[in-house]
Amino acid sequence: MTTPTTPTPPMNPQPPAAPNAALPSPGARQRTAAGAPSSGSSAAGRSARRKRALHWIAVHSMAIALALAFVLPFVFVFLTSVMSDGQAMSGELWPTSWHWENYTKVFRTPGFLDWWRNSLMYALVGTVFTVCSSIPVAYALAKFRFRGRRTAMLLVISTMMLPPQVIVVPMYLVWAQQFHLSGTLWPLIIPMAFGDAYSIFLLRQFLLTIPKEYVESARIDGCGELRTLLRVVVPMAKPGIAAIALFQFFYCWNDYFGPQIYAAQNPGAWTLSYGLESFKSAHSVDWNLTMAATLLVMAPVIIVFFFAQKAFVEGVTLTGVKG
Amino acid sequence: MALSLSSGSGSGSGRGPDRGSGSGPGSGSGPGSRDGSAPSTATLLRRKKTRDRLRTIGFLSPWLVGFTVFFGYPLVATVYFSFMHYNQIKEPTFVGLRNWSYVFQEMPLFGPALWNTLWLVVVMVALRVVFGIGVGLLVTKLKSGVGFFRTAFYVPYLAPPVAATVAFVFLLNPATGPVNELLGAIGIEGPNWFNDPLWSKPSLVMLSLWGIGDLMVIFMAALLDVPKEQYEAAELDGAGAWSRFRYVTWPNITPIVMFAVVTGVVQTMQYYTQALVAGKLASGITIGPGTVIQPGYPDHSTITVPQLVYQLGFQNFNTGAASVLSLVLFAIAMAVTVLLMRRKSGLLSAED
Amino acid sequence: MPPPRPRAWPTVLLAVGLLLTGCANPSVGSADDDPKAPVTLKFWHGWSEPSEVKAIDKSIERFEKLHRNIDVVATGNVNDATVNQALRAGGDKAPDVVSSFTTNNVGQYCDSGMWADLDPFLKKSGLDKKKLFPNTLLEYTQYQGTQCALPLLADAFGLYYNKDAFAKAGITRPPRTMSEFRKAAAKLTQREGRHVKRAGYMPNFRLYQNSPDRMFAQWGPRYFDAHGKAQLAKEPRTRQFFRTMRQLTDAQGGYGALERLRQSFGDEMSKQSGFMTGKLAMHLDGEWRGLMLKEAKPDFDWGVAPLPVPDKQADTYGRGFLTGTVAGIAHSSKHQNAAWELLRFLTTDTDQVVSFANAIHNVPSTNAALNSPDLDADPAFRTFLRIAKNPHSQALPPSTTGGQYVTALQDFAYSVESGKEGDLDAGLRALDRQIDADTVQAEN
Repeated sequence: MTTPTTPTPPMNPQPPAAPNAALPSPGARQRTAAGAPSSGSSAAGRSARRKRALHWIAVHSMAIALALAFVLPFVFVFLTSVMSDGQAMSGELWPTSWHWENYTKVFRTPGFLDWWRNSLMYALVGTVFTVCSSIPVAYALAKFRFRGRRTAMLLVISTMMLPPQVIVVPMYLVWAQQFHLSGTLWPLIIPMAFGDAYSIFLLRQFLLTIPKEYVESARIDGCGELRTLLRVVVPMAKPGIAAIALFQFFYCWNDYFGPQIYAAQNPGAWTLSYGLESFKSAHSVDWNLTMAATLLVMAPVIIVFFFAQKAFVEGVTLTGVKG
Repeated sequence: MALSLSSGSGSGSGRGPDRGSGSGPGSGSGPGSRDGSAPSTATLLRRKKTRDRLRTIGFLSPWLVGFTVFFGYPLVATVYFSFMHYNQIKEPTFVGLRNWSYVFQEMPLFGPALWNTLWLVVVMVALRVVFGIGVGLLVTKLKSGVGFFRTAFYVPYLAPPVAATVAFVFLLNPATGPVNELLGAIGIEGPNWFNDPLWSKPSLVMLSLWGIGDLMVIFMAALLDVPKEQYEAAELDGAGAWSRFRYVTWPNITPIVMFAVVTGVVQTMQYYTQALVAGKLASGITIGPGTVIQPGYPDHSTITVPQLVYQLGFQNFNTGAASVLSLVLFAIAMAVTVLLMRRKSGLLSAED
Repeated sequence: MPPPRPRAWPTVLLAVGLLLTGCANPSVGSADDDPKAPVTLKFWHGWSEPSEVKAIDKSIERFEKLHRNIDVVATGNVNDATVNQALRAGGDKAPDVVSSFTTNNVGQYCDSGMWADLDPFLKKSGLDKKKLFPNTLLEYTQYQGTQCALPLLADAFGLYYNKDAFAKAGITRPPRTMSEFRKAAAKLTQREGRHVKRAGYMPNFRLYQNSPDRMFAQWGPRYFDAHGKAQLAKEPRTRQFFRTMRQLTDAQGGYGALERLRQSFGDEMSKQSGFMTGKLAMHLDGEWRGLMLKEAKPDFDWGVAPLPVPDKQADTYGRGFLTGTVAGIAHSSKHQNAAWELLRFLTTDTDQVVSFANAIHNVPSTNAALNSPDLDADPAFRTFLRIAKNPHSQALPPSTTGGQYVTALQDFAYSVESGKEGDLDAGLRALDRQIDADTVQAEN
């Protein structure tokens, strides 16, 4: 991942360079700028300072409370995952004995490793397909002038809006009865080689921000459209491409509906998301093992996040880009 | 190179004229496109036009094919099947409007499914947007530990929906879940959450608020983009916190709010996984082989239209009724799309 | 990274072409194969517990020794939804020999033709099904004269009870009538404030095997009239059933308290299940539970009895709900004669049926096996054999909608038990209408 070409909003407001930097508040910079007396003896300064302190405390305690609510589910899931099966059903919060072997048990569950492999295959191949097929389309929609462009955009957006359940029945029949591909993940992956509306839309929005001078000068240099796309546009659009790749990867990784339709009948093709749902009932296990499996499904995504944090945040921000 | 379909014709027909005309198709009638002094301009222009069109089609072709095969065909087929009786074994037979009357008049789950979907679209989307702005505001107001808090609020969004739902069903288990255990410790009798028809949808909303990360980041970006001078001016005018939000922040972030609403509505109309998994797990019904479990536990309070499509099409193999329901969903989705597109949703820019 | 477009084009054109040719299912099986030729058969079954899988694998081994030309590839833990989807899709991956843990879907399998008619095979082999199988079992494996399945062991339902809890409560024998049942349940229930710590008997229909059709069988109801129309509203026993269940619930602290207790149970098959942890004093379950209890060795003494019957039908005591695993041949199989050899061995060979029944403690499904002296003498198991042989024991009637009417009944029962159904009669009439509408929808 390279440095982004588009300016992204700074996540941290610049710390004000005021002497009272210990407790900075939005008002700090402004007041110094307005020529307020430097901090010290005056009563007004003290009260302003107390107000800022209170504000700081209020905001931060709210944040801490909220953060607790956000983090505690993970903590409870983890604590339960190392309990004995009896204790997991007891409502107690802290494990009396630590059963790390629960994780080995989950890994030894028949099929668990297959689910991993299938999820990875689905997500990786699906992402490569989507990215490769969506780039040219997004490029054409962003940089070509042609009749019907607006209609094409409208159709892309309409497809994007469409719940997948609308078309699933006939599509399933085709894949199952004509191609006998039910019981595999291919009916989900193959369509991704033909562009994905959401990725096309997002990437196009991104490409619009690339100044057309770059594209034109490449053309003037004698590049064909394809070469312009590959040599000039793609390198410049790397953050956008990274974003749609990430989104697509997570879409596939998290997908439950698709595997339920196409892979349900063949446990050998189950993905992690699908397998986890039936984990409890199919393997007659209790909450401790289920929570261990849940954490194991969450882990990769969160690990990837910590490595590609920047691309993530940029990607999400990108979705909010105005056309 | 595999993509030569279009560009091959572009570069193959000679570089000279291309350079002479000096304008890619992207620039439309750029400078110098008319003053080409080469012989028979008209022929060249015509050739270029054809070439442009071919190239456009070439670039668009993955999507054109995808759109036709994976969107156009199934849509037509869905209409076709909605008038057929088809159990996916014997040949389809024409039954007129029987599937339609079955869905609208005889299927008891249709009403609840429609109601729940609309409930979720209204309540969940609204609360998510409000909460997203709130968390975004809070984080922008923080002066220390921003990185930690941002991560804490963002990470739950990444939890795969199935995993997050499984976790929540456990956390909110009325008898053994830690949440009610904690509430009990401070003397509050916790509700039955996913096991109470009144609380099941609010529990799903809670689950969706836990995953607020995406909206938080978008709103943070938007909030930090609001020009500082406007706040300063407002403050000089003596505006309070609410007025500053109302007259400075809000107008600046409206497009992003609109965007959040549109994508939220789209996502919520497809709401499937969380509701299904929550209902199934919370019901505690053993998925005995051969038993078809009706989704929507408890008391049909979590069944959504997409779940019903699955139920009809893939559990009862009632292709006709499933198609009818698909078309209903399609109609709603299109209505919402048109409605939202007419407003300023930021999806389609002025230049399109 | 060039997109794989050029190569995809022909596929797409092919796809479009195929789409336009319609959607007939091209996979049609045949019964012209030579059962003596070398062949690989795919057999799908639902067993997943290690001991059960071992037992079925051993049975297959025995079969393969008898038929050296046939290689059987078994897949376990398969449920009906899977079978349904796979047979509709057809193709190479579809199984040849299929089975189902319930009789619910037999009507659908027979009526749709998904499972092949077995009468021609029985005739070819010179077998008389009426002599071979008990009548109830024969009935639940056919639909309107089409015998598309055969029983592969049967299941009977009875009452498991905690003998220690009974002794402490001063109850000397398991209840035989519904009013005895209610009194015993109330006595055995332990409460703590508003919460129930132990239920005498949990009638909640979502508990494990408690699907309403199981207990309803104690009343001996008729679901459909002579014309195949649902008649639950007309059948007075339906109301008696729901009323009794309501009284049973109320005698133990009410629906809400019992539901909350249910939420504290572990998985049905795990050691944390309600009965195993002592949170239930009496429990409805199938005969297989006995073997599991024996192996798990809970810290209390337990016993088995038939489920109680309504006071007015006291003479039918000893009856119970019957169901069973059924097996058949996939319509899409290209090796139907070889498949028949396997099916015939599994369902009709007395030695095989007896040893398989003993291994997993299911009720044997042929007349000869039911009377075999080689059957396990375990008293709990014997109790279930008696329930299975009881003339009043009853199975669910098959329907072309498969188990859809059972699902509808379950759904209705859930709203009755939670108190959502104000007018029971009106609700039952609506239920009948819905079942009939579903039937019309499914008929072709």
